[in-house]
Formats: sequence, structure tokens, C-alpha cells
Amino acid sequence: MVKRRKVLKAGALLSVPAIFGGGAANAQLCRPTGMRSLGTEPDSPPVTAYTEPLFIPPKLENIGAAALNPPIDPSRHQRYDEFEAVNVTEQHITEGVWNYHSDLSALTPAQAGAPAGSGSIAWMFSGGEGTGGQPSTPGPTLVARYGEPVFVRRHNDLPSADDVFMPIGYPAISTHLHNAHTASESDGYPMDFAMPGEFWEHHYAMYYARNDSNEGMGSLWYHDHMIDFTATNVYAGLSGMAIFYDEFDSGDETDPNPNAFNLPGNMQFGDDGAGNSLGFDISMILHDVRFTPDGNPTYNVFDTDGHLGDLITVNRKVQPFMNVKRRKYRLRIYDGGPSRFYELGFYKTSDRDTPISFDIIANDGNLLEEPFRGATSVIVGPANRNDVIIDFSQFAAGEEIEILNLAEQVNGQGPTGRRLKGNDRMKVLQFRVVEMDPGEVDVSTVPNALRPFPSIPPQAVLDTLIHREWVFDHDMGLWTVNGQFMDPSIVSAAPKQGTAEVWTFRNAGSSWAHPCHVHFEECQILEWNGKKPTGVLKARKDVMTLGPNDVVKVFYRFDDFVGRYVIHCHNNVHEDNAMMLRWDITPG
Amino acid sequence: MKDRRKMLALLAVGLPSLAAAGTSESSALAKKSAFKDCPRGITGPTAHRFPQAIVTDQNKEKAWFYEELIHDKIVLVNFTSVRGEKHYPIVANMVKVQNMIGDRLGKDVFIYTISTDPYHDTPESLKELADSHGAKWQFLTGAPEDVKGILQGFGIRGTINGLSWVGNEKTGRWMTKATRQHPLYIAEAVARLSTGKHFKPFLVDMHSV
Repeated sequence: MVKRRKVLKAGALLSVPAIFGGGAANAQLCRPTGMRSLGTEPDSPPVTAYTEPLFIPPKLENIGAAALNPPIDPSRHQRYDEFEAVNVTEQHITEGVWNYHSDLSALTPAQAGAPAGSGSIAWMFSGGEGTGGQPSTPGPTLVARYGEPVFVRRHNDLPSADDVFMPIGYPAISTHLHNAHTASESDGYPMDFAMPGEFWEHHYAMYYARNDSNEGMGSLWYHDHMIDFTATNVYAGLSGMAIFYDEFDSGDETDPNPNAFNLPGNMQFGDDGAGNSLGFDISMILHDVRFTPDGNPTYNVFDTDGHLGDLITVNRKVQPFMNVKRRKYRLRIYDGGPSRFYELGFYKTSDRDTPISFDIIANDGNLLEEPFRGATSVIVGPANRNDVIIDFSQFAAGEEIEILNLAEQVNGQGPTGRRLKGNDRMKVLQFRVVEMDPGEVDVSTVPNALRPFPSIPPQAVLDTLIHREWVFDHDMGLWTVNGQFMDPSIVSAAPKQGTAEVWTFRNAGSSWAHPCHVHFEECQILEWNGKKPTGVLKARKDVMTLGPNDVVKVFYRFDDFVGRYVIHCHNNVHEDNAMMLRWDITPG
Repeated sequence: MKDRRKMLALLAVGLPSLAAAGTSESSALAKKSAFKDCPRGITGPTAHRFPQAIVTDQNKEKAWFYEELIHDKIVLVNFTSVRGEKHYPIVANMVKVQNMIGDRLGKDVFIYTISTDPYHDTPESLKELADSHGAKWQFLTGAPEDVKGILQGFGIRGTINGLSWVGNEKTGRWMTKATRQHPLYIAEAVARLSTGKHFKPFLVDMHSV
């Protein structure tokens, strides 16, 4: 039995999942004899930290519906006529090379049509404004606004499996827009894959669930969800960010609308190539990557516990730097996985002992009811997103601020619960503080009240609803949910459209962690290990990051669209090793 | 593929040559690997995950595991033991997969059941297990240390395991399916990882719209 009294006061999480505390973590430090460990994988070649400028993806370009050939076929999409697309984009997914770090690129051979020394092998997305078709990883950021439906046609232009250079993954794609309230056929369902030479279309209605603005979402991401190959395809490069705005969270700090929160942001995306961002609302996705001696990503596909990289990348740059002005920034921090959990803190390079405090305003991309002020660290598991506001005006120009990872993790199963100390902390990113331009003023605010939560029925009503339990476990070498493994012909739950249910997620494991993700809807946390959620956990979430033996009870509603969805572990390695079930929303 | 030329050259060498030093795919990688890293005459995308070891099948035929059974082939690998099969049977389901694979078995698709209990499983006992189900593929055992090294490469712990590996070592693509999953999806995985005329993206089209 796990003793909870030793739970670490980890950052802002007042009700802490057992993942970062408790005795259970010791179990994974003592693994059976003969088990493989990180030591069996070679270290990445050495790189110099904080020399590579941060890449900030540009905005996806709206090319207009008329530019699509063949044209959009409304009959393929639920409720298309109600939500006719006004923001139409086209992306090509290709294989090429990507400069993760110039020290690594220098080692690379001629590959994928690129000369030696030009970059690591990568799968990438095109479609960014002003890129001239140049692809990137992460892909261009989908910037969308509620009420302005989006249509994305994604072409799989990867080589066939016979010809592909990427040593891992499989060149079929199904792109999931993580946490979007999306009709099944546009969701990136794992069986809706496009082979090389084919495309798939995604219609995002940009419609609040139940037409309730309290259901508005903010930080989402698109990533590959190919059946059996999600972890490796995402690792290969197939991830990108998405931002949803509305009149409250409008992305414009100067917005005169009295409803607007005026959070930091100027609707500018991208960077100048030298570490300067064009905007103040910055998305940062973390992927831990391991590289071969010739500078290419490597991965042990046979390790079904999970994959750990030894270098942290931010927007696919190894330990980058970014210049920041002496003002507030909104940082949307994503854990892109596949298997690493982070506890991130901000420190001055000149004083790595004193954590810098910041505000957390969103969990899993959904605004909290009120900001969590004065956080000193933020915990993210695979696929979790936290928006934080940090005010760099408290520092002098010329000061350097680092993001360090404090969470120790020695295998893909989950973190040990121990905090890294001193120089063992992993370098993530460095900010270099510069003065604002003459006459420039920071008019952004972080209001005390953000987006209210949608209402939850009283307990008496909740008691009358259907309750379902999803147990995440390990059995016979398989990662299982309710003792089952992924079979797309088995429907494990079929709630009716227009209904609500209470779901419980239980981690039956005593030494591993599971970030449990449900497609289509985020939920509201009712109880975390039997207690009401507080702090940052009092949130609308789509990835319940369960530590050993954690139990979470949540409230779900199923409205607006019907079809096939999945529930799975977002340690994508577990997902690919069967930890996924299909569930359907059926017509009410 | 950059390694293909190198691989072809190595193929010409023929069977593994323990003495042929310096031919492994990446000397720096081999240096740091905790796995046995004997230089081998034949290499391939996942060669460094497996020991250079000899296994014995139910007909007492011996073979180098990676070099003769995995290299350049499409394989379906699963794991059980004579004793484990009594508690968590997998062979019956794999026989259904065998029937779906049809006459590709033994030609370009190879099924292997690796014993998780090489201390007790003999060619004779494995032959009895195979024959009782009509299994026509190879059941492999061998010196316990060697078999354990192979199991470790696949991340197999314990004597019962529900995971099957489907691999195409020509392209280096590997994936898992639950061994007791509907045989159609296992056969589909083999078809999806196949290249050339046997390639099929799916056996049942489950795409929406």
C-alpha cells in the first residue's frame, strides 16, 4: 500500500498525484535482474547548450476554399453546412532533414535528398505563412477562432515503407487534433489513415461544446495517431500546435472588447531566425530525443515500457535559447512525449537555487477559473499542456533565465518521484532578457477571473448517471485497459448523444504512470484520489496523468457529434502496445 | 537507403563470421551497447538488439537466430512455453493466423514461437505442442543464456507473454499486436508491413466515410 504522507509539495499541485511522491516510486528503482535500462542505449553525441535559437512555428496559412482541388465535399462531414469553413489550409507531410542542433546536423550523412551535414532525418508538416512551402517540425501553428470553422486537407507525401529514410515509424498518417470537439471522421481516428499519395480531410467546426462559451479551449496540438505507430510517428516529427481564440481569450492584449482578458499576445507568430519571437504568446512543445553518432533520432522499438531521450528539445531544437523583452509572456508548455514526465522550474543562470515564481492560467489548454499565482514549478506528463505567464520585467536586461527539468525518470514507465538536484537537473531552454523597444509598453493583464467552468449537476443527479470505470494495467506483457487490448471492432462504451456520465480512471499499477486521454471531450475532475481537486488540478482536462494507484473520477458530457473515438494511454509507447479502446457516441 | 549497399556487401560474405571484426553497422553504437556486440557478418536495422546466438527448432534444426531467421525477412514472433501454454494458450490463435497467411508461410513470411522456458522446453516437447495444434511454423529453444538474450531483446519477462512482434527486417519496421487478438488484425499487420506484391494497407477497410 502506498503511503501518501510523504507526498512532495510539488509545485502548484496542491492535490498531488502519486506520480511525484509516495513510496511506490521506489519500486521502479529496484527492477528485476536482467531488465533493460537506459544504460543499454548509447548517449547522444555532445551538444553545446543554449546556442541554437528557439524555433517558433509560423501560423498556418488560410488559402481559402477556392484553392482546394478537388473542392471540399460537404457530404463527408457531419454538420458541414452549419459550420462552413472560412479558414482553409492545406498541409503536406514530407520526409526531409531538420536542424535539431548545428552540432548534430554537422554529423549527418547525405540523406532524404539533402547533402551531408545539413540536418537530422525528420517527418514534417508544410503550410506555414511566409514559408514558401518549407516544412517544419513542429508543423505550423493552427491559429483558429471560435465561430470561424477550419478545414485542413493533409496530404501524405511521405515515401513508401520501401523507400523511407526514417528508421522508425510507418509512413501512413492519421492526424489527431488533440482535445478538439470534433466529428469522428475529422478526429484523426487511428483507423482513418492515409497511405503515401493519399490525403485526409479534417473539418473543425470551431463550435463550443453545447454552444457554451465556458467550454472554450485554448492550447491544443495536432499529432499523428496512426494505429500501432503513434509513438514513433510523432517522435519522427509529426506534431504541431494549435491555438483556439475567442472574444474572451482573444490573443490580443490591446483588444478593446470589455470581455477580453487582454492576456499577453499580439497575434504574431513565428520568429526571426535569431532567437527573437514575433509575438508574446509562445507555444513550446517538449520532446525528449536520443540521437545516433551520426546525428539522427534513434529509438528502441522493442522497449514497450516507453522511450526516453537524453536531450530535451523545445520545438525540435535541442536546448535552445530565446531572447525575451522585459515584459510579460504567455508560454504554452506542451509535453509532446512519448514517455517523459517533467517538473519544470525557472531559474536565473546566476542563481540556480532560487526558483522564480510565475502564474499558471490553464491546464490541458483550458483556462482555469482563476490564475494560480506564485507557482514555482509546473508538472506536465505526456500530452499535458500548461499555459504559464512569466513577467520578465523583474529581471535586468542581460540576465539569463533557464528552464530546468527537476523530475527524475530512469525508464519509460514513469518518473521515480525523486527530484533532480544541482547540475543533474536537465537543461531545457534559456531566456536572454533584453530591453523593450523605445516607447513599447506592456499593456497585457492577467485578470483574477478567467473562464468560468461549465456547471456540473448536483450530486443527487450525478448519482443517477451511468458510471464507468477504466482500469489501466499491465498484464501478460501487454498494457491493457479493463483487461482488454486495442481491437477496433470492439466498442467498449457507447454513450448516447446528449447524455452525461461519470467516469473513473484507475491506475492499477504500483510502479508506472499512465496519462489517460479520451478523445472528443475534455472532462471536469470530480475527485482525485477521493478528494476534491484544488489548485491547478481544479480544471477541465483531457489527459488525466495518473501516478501509481491513482484514481480519478470525472464528469463527461457527449453532445454535438457522433461516431468512433478512442480512449488510450498517452504514453504513446503504451498506446501502441495495445493500451487503447474504441468507444462510440451513438445517436441519441 | 544508405545502409542497403553496405548490407548487400555484407550479404555476400554469407553466414555470420565471428571473426570478421569491424563490420557492424555503427562502431560507436556497438562500443556503448550493453548487449553482446560480437562483430557479425550480417547486419540489419535491428541486428544490434539481438545476441548472436544459435537456436534449435522442434525438428532439432539449428540456426543463427538473427542472421538466418530474422535478417531480410518478414516475421511474426510470439512467446510461450509448454507449461505457460496451459495457463495462457496462444498457439491455437496463431494457427488461425497461419491459415490466413497461407502459402506465404515459410516463403516470405516466417512465424516463430520462442520458448520462454528454455530450461524445460526441449525440441521434443515443443514438437508435441506444435503438432497437437497443427502448427507448421518453427518453435525455438536453445541454450538458456542464448534464449534469454533473445527474449531480452524483445523485452520479454516471465514465462507467459501476450505480445506478438510483427517485423519486416528488410525495411526495419516492427510493431506489436496482442497475440490473442482477432487473427485478422495480426494477419493485417503482416500485410501492412509487407512490401512488393504482398503489401496491403488493410485487410478490412475500417476508414470512416
